[in-house]
Amino acid sequence: MRFPSRKVFMKDWMVTSLFLLLSLVLVGYFVYVCIGWNVIVSLSDWKGLTPSYNIAGFDQYLSLFHDQVFLTSLKNNLILILLFVPGSLFLGLFLAILLDLKVRGEGAFRSIYLLPFALSFVITATLWAWMYNLDVGVINTLLEKIGLGFLRPMWVADPNIAMYCVVLALIWQFSGYTMLIFLGGIRSIPESQIRAAEVDGASGFDLYRYVVIPQLKAPALSAFIVLMVFALKAFDFIYILTGGGPGWSTYVLALMMFKETFRKNQFAYGGAIATILFLLALVIVVPYLYLSFRREKE
Amino acid sequence: MRFPKLGRVTLYILLIFFIFAFLLPLWTCITTSFKTLKGVIDTTPVEPPLGPLFRLPYPTMEPLITAFNIMKRSLLNSFTFTVAAMILSCLLGSINGYILTKITFKGSNTVFLFFTIGIFIPYQAVLVPLVLTMSKLGLYNHLGGLILTHTAYGIPITTLLFRNFYGLIPNSLIMAAKTDGAGTWTIYRRIVLPLSLPPFVVAAVFQFTSIWNDFLFGVVLTRGQNQPASVVLANLKGTTTVMWNLLMGGTLWYALPVLVIYLVLGKYLMRGYMAGAVKG
Amino acid sequence: MVSVTIKNLTKKYGETVAVKDLNLEIKDQEFFILLGPSGCGKTTTLLCIAGLLKPDEGEVWLGNELVSSSGRDMHVTPQKREVAMMFQDYAIYPHMTVFKNIAFPLEVRGKDKREIVERVTTTAKLLGISQLLDRKPKQLSGGQRQRVALGRAIVRKPRVFLLDEPLANLDAKLRVKTRTELKELQRKLGVTTVYVTHDQVEAMTMADRIIVQRDGVTEQIGTPDELYNRPANLFVAGFIGSPEMNFTDCTLIKDGKKLWLDAKEFKIPVPAEIVPKLESYVGEDVIMGIRPEDLYEREFVKEGTQKNAFRMTVDIIEHVGPYLLLYLRKGRLSLVARVKHTKAGVGQEASIEMDLSKIHLFDKKTTKAIL
Repeated sequence: MRFPSRKVFMKDWMVTSLFLLLSLVLVGYFVYVCIGWNVIVSLSDWKGLTPSYNIAGFDQYLSLFHDQVFLTSLKNNLILILLFVPGSLFLGLFLAILLDLKVRGEGAFRSIYLLPFALSFVITATLWAWMYNLDVGVINTLLEKIGLGFLRPMWVADPNIAMYCVVLALIWQFSGYTMLIFLGGIRSIPESQIRAAEVDGASGFDLYRYVVIPQLKAPALSAFIVLMVFALKAFDFIYILTGGGPGWSTYVLALMMFKETFRKNQFAYGGAIATILFLLALVIVVPYLYLSFRREKE
Repeated sequence: MRFPKLGRVTLYILLIFFIFAFLLPLWTCITTSFKTLKGVIDTTPVEPPLGPLFRLPYPTMEPLITAFNIMKRSLLNSFTFTVAAMILSCLLGSINGYILTKITFKGSNTVFLFFTIGIFIPYQAVLVPLVLTMSKLGLYNHLGGLILTHTAYGIPITTLLFRNFYGLIPNSLIMAAKTDGAGTWTIYRRIVLPLSLPPFVVAAVFQFTSIWNDFLFGVVLTRGQNQPASVVLANLKGTTTVMWNLLMGGTLWYALPVLVIYLVLGKYLMRGYMAGAVKG
Repeated sequence: MVSVTIKNLTKKYGETVAVKDLNLEIKDQEFFILLGPSGCGKTTTLLCIAGLLKPDEGEVWLGNELVSSSGRDMHVTPQKREVAMMFQDYAIYPHMTVFKNIAFPLEVRGKDKREIVERVTTTAKLLGISQLLDRKPKQLSGGQRQRVALGRAIVRKPRVFLLDEPLANLDAKLRVKTRTELKELQRKLGVTTVYVTHDQVEAMTMADRIIVQRDGVTEQIGTPDELYNRPANLFVAGFIGSPEMNFTDCTLIKDGKKLWLDAKEFKIPVPAEIVPKLESYVGEDVIMGIRPEDLYEREFVKEGTQKNAFRMTVDIIEHVGPYLLLYLRKGRLSLVARVKHTKAGVGQEASIEMDLSKIHLFDKKTTKAIL
């Protein structure tokens, strides 16, 4: 019997590990090296189009906290965290429970609710710009038709409510996603358990309150993390819907970073914002990853 | 679950209300892209232009045609780099998933963590070095730059998807192939790859939609002729304030590929979302 | 084919020791079985022979070729060992037809097409699955899958067969049938076979020799007959045989020249021929073992051999086809007897006698066999 030679297997293993190496190099460079590089930029005095790496220490960071725009952005990210995150979670949970009630054509409902999530932020932002348009926009026209024309809110043109309009539109886009995650969680509860609870006398809302919802911790957590990370890095949607305006009323960190860097060429300043954004994301993600890795090991 | 009859009626009323709420923006997008500018002003956005028979204006293809002419180049750009980066990131993710689940080596968990963190980072934190790197490589304002970028940032999520799936392939299959005489690469090509159609569809659908939908990388890495459709559409929105029919037409063109994929392969996209894949 | 030699093999998973200091010599063409409860290290041993696991310590030899050695830090990959392995779940490649499955080991070795077709056809004929060659695994029954896996293992004439619980997923009837067929096939092919099972009946009926392992440690190596009739320790005595051997604590007492086993409920004389071996245990506690089939009801024992009957209450009578199981009790002592007939009914007393030449005695401290 002819044995395959040792060389064949060495080559075989090399081919495979070369691909892994390629991935490691790509991710290593584009994620880790670039993040490090960005931190260096943030510690420099780079303004304008020619790169400059003179060390300026934490100057950029210090001036950020005296910058009204930065504080407004921070506040708006907080609004996203406090309103958009729970809003999407609750609407998603509500939709999931509705669909769990043995609904006919459940698949169709589910697909429609999830559709906005599959679309680009560029599309949804354009659509909502159209919704919120003052003169011919969908919402105001409808208000007029039902005799509420006198209200005519300014929507995203009103600095006082613009951010809340953004939140509403984002909940519209994300709650299909949370619905999907919760529905998956509900469906993974064994049928026998629901039956047993029904025999024990639980029905309707009690069944959900005491049996189903307490078991949705894991899907709720993963959806929560996804929403939180998004609440921090939200950019495209707001950039296209409002551009941050009116004034700075809808500025968020990612948007401010983009404008400082690519519109005003304040590279070091933008880098500092990006670094803060990155650190905030780590605060959310690292405990989550630690938790899920530990669970997987068990 | 048993519910009183009234309850079931309320349930369906609620469900249908949400259908309206979720579809309203899209519906008005479609109706508006078939209207003339005058039609946009004369009718409510909800009304489709069905013609005088319904006391409504005639539909027109004008906005869609104009929008297509504005966007066709960018749509082709988007299609090119999306498909290329989709294929590359899926292939690499598949091999990574295979290595991480089926070849035990020291530090494989660390490697996985190394990839996973890449899923969650805000891309703002890499933008400046990314643009500088692409300029150095001569890939700034080049579709190749977008392909490279989307491949690199796609690897973490495709690796996660394939790893989850390959975890379900019994180890005995791999061990059997080893004793049968197959090496690492042969096992991947002859055993693992042929069994990977489902995860490839899930990862490909997910990657296609998220790369196609991207705006951020497109806007910082390209200009003019090489811009992806997302950026051209955003510019169109920025420059026209009154041509809503044209803008909606452009939106429709840009949304079309994802809508088609969603209709045909939506369940795979859902599987991707449920496996932890989310948009950046 | 070849012999398999294992020297001082130790394999750990983190802190847990799966196999500890194992020494084995499996002869050429032997049907050798690794037997033990789950988690005893038998599959680990098999995987070390296959090369799918790298031993932490020790050596593995196939014939006179060293394939694993911790000392020289060498490890021949499974691909190069020319051994075939069959898995409990059969590990059939689900996307390949039966033909492709069986042909796979030949194809990766770069055999030419004609030879592949010829060898796959011969193998399929041998196993009676010629009509299944074009089917996909999904369309096969459990028994048929098992054959495909077997076919894939034998088609390339390996030096050693490694089988990991190959019958565990078959239903009881098919399992018994396949047992004989497998044994016959092995004899016909003359391939050294290492077979893992937790089923002692399987082991006893098929093996030339058996190793009993527990918690990674070797308890005994021997022929089925040796394991059954001369178990080396309490564990093997209890593990082999169904229903299990009866055990009871006894004290050895000396009364003049005679030795007695005193179990409180009964007292039996030790046969004269084994007395010399027991002298050192006089006054000590020992464990006596007696297999259920070595207990009789007095009425059915031939005249003249009745010596040491004692009365016990019959708790339960189980009818197991060709024989009966009597569950007997007296005070704290309970025994199971396997008899052909009984006169006693449930709740009644019976006179029980044991075949004194068949008793086993174990040291209570070391649990090792004294006899």
